[in-house]
Amino acid sequence: MKQIPSLLALLVLFGLGLAQKTTLTVGVFPNLDDALKAQIQLFNKKYPDVEVKLVIQQYADHHNALTTALATGQGLPDVAAIEIGFVGRFAEGQGFEDLNKAPYNAGQYKRFFTPYTIAQATASDGRFIAMPVDIGPGTFFYRVDILQKAGVDPKNMMTWPGYIAAGRKIKATTGAFLIADASDVAWINIFATTPANTSPYFDAQGKVIVDSPRFVRAFELAKNIRAAGLDARVGAWTNEWYDAFKKGTVATQFSGAWLQGHLQNWMAPETKGLWRVQQLPEGMYASWGGSFYAIPTTSKNKALAWELIKFVTTTKEAQVAAFRAIGAFPSLLSAQEDPSFNEPIEFLGGQQARLLWRDAARRVKPLKANKYDRIANEILTQALSQVLDEGKDIQAALTEAKRLIERRMR
Amino acid sequence: MARVSPGGWLLRLGGYALLVLGGVLTIAPFYFMFVFATHQRSEIFGFPPPIWFGEHFLTNYQILIEKIPFWRAYWNNFYLALMTTITSLFFCSLAGFGFAMYQFRWREQLFAVVMATLLIPAILNLIPFYLLIYQIGWINTPKALWVPAMAGALGIFLMRQYIISAIPKELVDAARIDGCSEFQIYWRIVLPLIRPALGTLGLITFIGSWNRFADVNVIMRTQETKTLPVVLRTLQGATDVEWGAIMAGTALLVAPLLLVFALAARQLMEGLTSGAVKS
Amino acid sequence: MRKSVRIPTSGHAGPSLAMRWSSFQRRYAPYIFVSPFFILFLIFGLYPTLFSLYMSFQAWTPSDGWGRWKYVGLENYTFTLTDPMFWRSMWNTVWLGVFSGIPQHLIAIPLAFVIHMVLSRFKTFVTAVYFLPYITSSVAIALIFNTLFATNNGVINLVIAHLNTWPLLGALLPDQNINWFTSANIKYALALVVIWQFTGWNTLLYLSAIQAIPKDLYEAAAVDGATRVQQFRYITLPLLRPMMFFAVSLTIIGNMQLFEQPFVLLNGGASAATPGGQTATMYMYRTAFEWLEMGTAASIAWILFVFIGILTYLNNLIFGRAARGGD
Repeated sequence: MKQIPSLLALLVLFGLGLAQKTTLTVGVFPNLDDALKAQIQLFNKKYPDVEVKLVIQQYADHHNALTTALATGQGLPDVAAIEIGFVGRFAEGQGFEDLNKAPYNAGQYKRFFTPYTIAQATASDGRFIAMPVDIGPGTFFYRVDILQKAGVDPKNMMTWPGYIAAGRKIKATTGAFLIADASDVAWINIFATTPANTSPYFDAQGKVIVDSPRFVRAFELAKNIRAAGLDARVGAWTNEWYDAFKKGTVATQFSGAWLQGHLQNWMAPETKGLWRVQQLPEGMYASWGGSFYAIPTTSKNKALAWELIKFVTTTKEAQVAAFRAIGAFPSLLSAQEDPSFNEPIEFLGGQQARLLWRDAARRVKPLKANKYDRIANEILTQALSQVLDEGKDIQAALTEAKRLIERRMR
Repeated sequence: MARVSPGGWLLRLGGYALLVLGGVLTIAPFYFMFVFATHQRSEIFGFPPPIWFGEHFLTNYQILIEKIPFWRAYWNNFYLALMTTITSLFFCSLAGFGFAMYQFRWREQLFAVVMATLLIPAILNLIPFYLLIYQIGWINTPKALWVPAMAGALGIFLMRQYIISAIPKELVDAARIDGCSEFQIYWRIVLPLIRPALGTLGLITFIGSWNRFADVNVIMRTQETKTLPVVLRTLQGATDVEWGAIMAGTALLVAPLLLVFALAARQLMEGLTSGAVKS
Repeated sequence: MRKSVRIPTSGHAGPSLAMRWSSFQRRYAPYIFVSPFFILFLIFGLYPTLFSLYMSFQAWTPSDGWGRWKYVGLENYTFTLTDPMFWRSMWNTVWLGVFSGIPQHLIAIPLAFVIHMVLSRFKTFVTAVYFLPYITSSVAIALIFNTLFATNNGVINLVIAHLNTWPLLGALLPDQNINWFTSANIKYALALVVIWQFTGWNTLLYLSAIQAIPKDLYEAAAVDGATRVQQFRYITLPLLRPMMFFAVSLTIIGNMQLFEQPFVLLNGGASAATPGGQTATMYMYRTAFEWLEMGTAASIAWILFVFIGILTYLNNLIFGRAARGGD
C-alpha cells in the first residue's frame, strides 16, 4: 500500500516525461561528483528521458551556498548532497523534505543501511532529512616498507603509547615521520570515543563537553607526537600532503577508508603495494567522512528527485558503481555483500581490506548530529592549533574553546 | 638628462639595476601563471618547477570546461562588465555635465555628497547590500550587480573634471541660443567632445567590473549566473585540485586585461591619477 | 523655429506652454542630470547602510523569514566586542595593514623618484609594468600566489633557498622550506601579495606628483651643489606630502577592508591557517554567510566602519596638517 503514492507520482512523472525531457539539478561537491556521474549512467538506462545536471562546487562553498540558498529559498537544486559535517545543521533547519513522510516513506529502507548513518540524518524532532550514500569507516593506513625497515611490528602500534614509541623508532631509523599532522590523532580519538547517540562535542542534553577527559587525552596524544617531532606538520589536502605520501616521508595515516581510492587514483599511484591497513588502536571505531542526499522543500521535481536518490542509495548496482569509481564505501548493507568485497586489493598488497572496513562500519556507534557541530569543530580546530603550534596549555585551550562554543549557542 | 652631478652615472646605473630587478619581480607571477597554465599539477609542484612552457594547455582547458561552465562564466563576466560600462558612461557623463556646466542651488553640497561616498568602505556594505537584494528578490539576477553600479562617484568626478577643462561655457551658451534643449546640448555637443575621457572611464569601469568578486560571490548563487573569478575560486580547495586547469582559467581571465592594458596603458594611468593630482 | 510661426488657435496657451517648458527644462535639467546618482545611492547605498545599523540591534538568520527579527539591544555589539575570534581577526587586519601598507610607500616613493630621474623614453612603459598588478583581478593574483607559495618546490621557497646560499643574506633566511599556510606564517604571505599588488599603484601616484614639481627647483638646488640624494631629501620629499596623505589614506581604507586575497589564500576559510590570516571583513563575511548571524555581522560592519573612521581621522591629524601646510 505504501508504494501507491510513489507509483502515482511515477505515473504523473511519465505523463510529463512523454511530453518533454525532464531536467534534474543535483548540487554536489568533489569528488562525490565522480561517483554520481558513474551512477547517473546507470540511472539513465532506467530513465532515459531524465537529464541530470550537476552543480559542482568546492566542498566548503557547496555547503555555504546551500546554507544561504536554504535561508533565502532561492537557487536550490532539486537534489542536494550533504557531507556528514553539515548534515546535523541541515537536519535541525526546515529546508529539506522529511523523508519519513509520504510519498517518500523512507522508513522502510532504513534497515538496509549501516545503522549509524540513520541517526546522523535524523533531527531531534524525529524528521529524517537525507539518505546515506556513502560512509567512511575510520581506518589505520601504514607503509609496510617503512615499518619493516624500522623493524616495527604494526601490531605493536595498536595502543597509543605503542604507536608513539613506534614513531620514535621509525624516525630514528628511517627518518620518516610517523604521521603527516599530529592533529589527525586528536581527531580520530575524539570521533572514536564519542558515546553512542551523542554529538562528538555535546552531551545528550546538548551541553558542551569539549573540556572533558576524552578531549584532554586526544589533545595530549597529539601534543606528545608534535613535541617528539614525529609529525611532518603537513595539513591534509595540500600538495605537501600528496608529496609526503608519494615520497614515503610519512609512515602512517588515519583516515576514512576512502583515502585508499584517492591514494590509488591520483595521490600516490606509484606507492602501489606498499600500503596496508588495520583497525584503529585500542579497539576504537570511528566514522571519518560520509555523504548524504536530500531534497530541498523548494525542489520543483520532488518525485523524480526521490527516484534518483532512491536509485543511488538503495540499489546495489549504483552503490557498487560509486564504490568502483572513487572507492566510496557503500552505505547500503547489501552492497557490502557484493563479491567484490572479498577481492584482494592490490594497492594494499593483496589485503582483503574491504572486509576489515565492513567490520569497522558495523561497529561504529551511531552519532547524533547537533546544529552547532560545525562551529564547535572550527573552534576546536583553532584550539588544537593553538596547543600544537603556539604551545598553549591544553586545559586552558579547551576551557576557552568551551566558552567560545557556548557563546555561539545563543 | 643634461645635468650631470658627481657620481651621477653611478647613481643612474644603480637606478637601472633597481628598476630591472623590480620589474622582473613584478612580471614573474604573470609569467608563471602562463607557464603553469601549460603544465599538469604534478609538474607544477615537482622539482624543479617548470620555468618554460609545456604542452598541456589543451589538457588543462579540457578539465576546465568539464569541471565548470567556463564559457558561460566568461560570458557572465563580459555581460556584467559591458552593462556596467555602457550605463556608467551615460549616467556619469550626464551627471558630470550637470555638475560642471550649471549653477544651481545645493550644487556644492550635492557634489560633496558624491565625493563623500567614495570614502565609504565598500566591503562593509556587503551584508546590508545582500539583505537589500534579498528583500527585493534580485538574488541570482545580473541586474542586481550592474544597476547599483550605473552611476559611480569616481566616474562622475572624472567626467566633471574633464568637462570643466575641455568644454568652454560659451559653446554651451551658443547651443542654447540655437534652441537646443539641455539634453540636446549634452547629447549633441558635449558627448562628442569628451570622447577621450569616455574612453578612459570606459576602461576603468570595464576593468573594475571584470574583476569584481566579493559581491558577485554573495549575490549569484548558481553556477550559471556566477562570473569567472567566482567560478575559478570554486575549483580551488577540491580534494583533487587541478592547479594546471586553474592557472589556465586564470590566464584566460587575465588575458583580456593584459590586452587592453597593452593598448591603452597610458590613457588608463593618466585617467586614474588625474583625480589624485588635481585634488 | 517652428513655435514662432505657429498661430495660436486656442487662446495663448500654446506658445507660453512651449516657453514655460523651455525655461522649466533649463531650470531643472541639472537636477535631473545628477539625480540618477542620488537615486541609486539612496536605494543601494544609504538605505542598506541604515538598514544594517537597524539590523545590528536585531537577531536574525535568513531562515527565520524576512521581517521576523528579534530586538536584542546591544547584544550583538557586546558579543562582537568580547569575541576573541573577532579580536584575532582585527589584530590580523591591523598587522597586515601595517606590514603590507608601510613597505608599499617605502618602496614606491624612491622607485617613483628613480623612474623620474633616470628614465625618459621608457618612462611610461616601465611605470605600466609596475602598475600591471593593480588592474589584475585579486582573485587571479591570489590563485597565482597560491601555487608560488607551495612548501616543497614552490617558486618562492626555491628562490629563498637559493638566496640562502649567498653570504650575509643566508644568515637571515630560514634553512628549511617555509610552510606559508600555517597560522603563524600566512600573514607574511598575505603581506607579500598585497605589497606586490599595490606598490605599482602608489608608485604611479607618487610619480605623477613628482612630475608636477617644477624643474627649476631642482636646477636651483643643483647650482647650489646639492646631490641627487639631497635633492630627494630636501625638495622631493617635502613637496610629496600632500600626495603621501592622499596615498596613505587610500592604503588605510583599502587595507582595513582586505578581503579577496585572504579569502582565496585561506580557501574561503577552510584552511588550517585561517585563525592567523583571517581579516576582519572575512570574519564578517563568514559570520553572515557561514554562520548566518546577520545581526552580529551587521554589528561587525559598523564596528569596523567606526574603526576606519577613527584611523582616517588620525591620519588626517598627522599627515593632513602637514599636507595642507605643504601646499
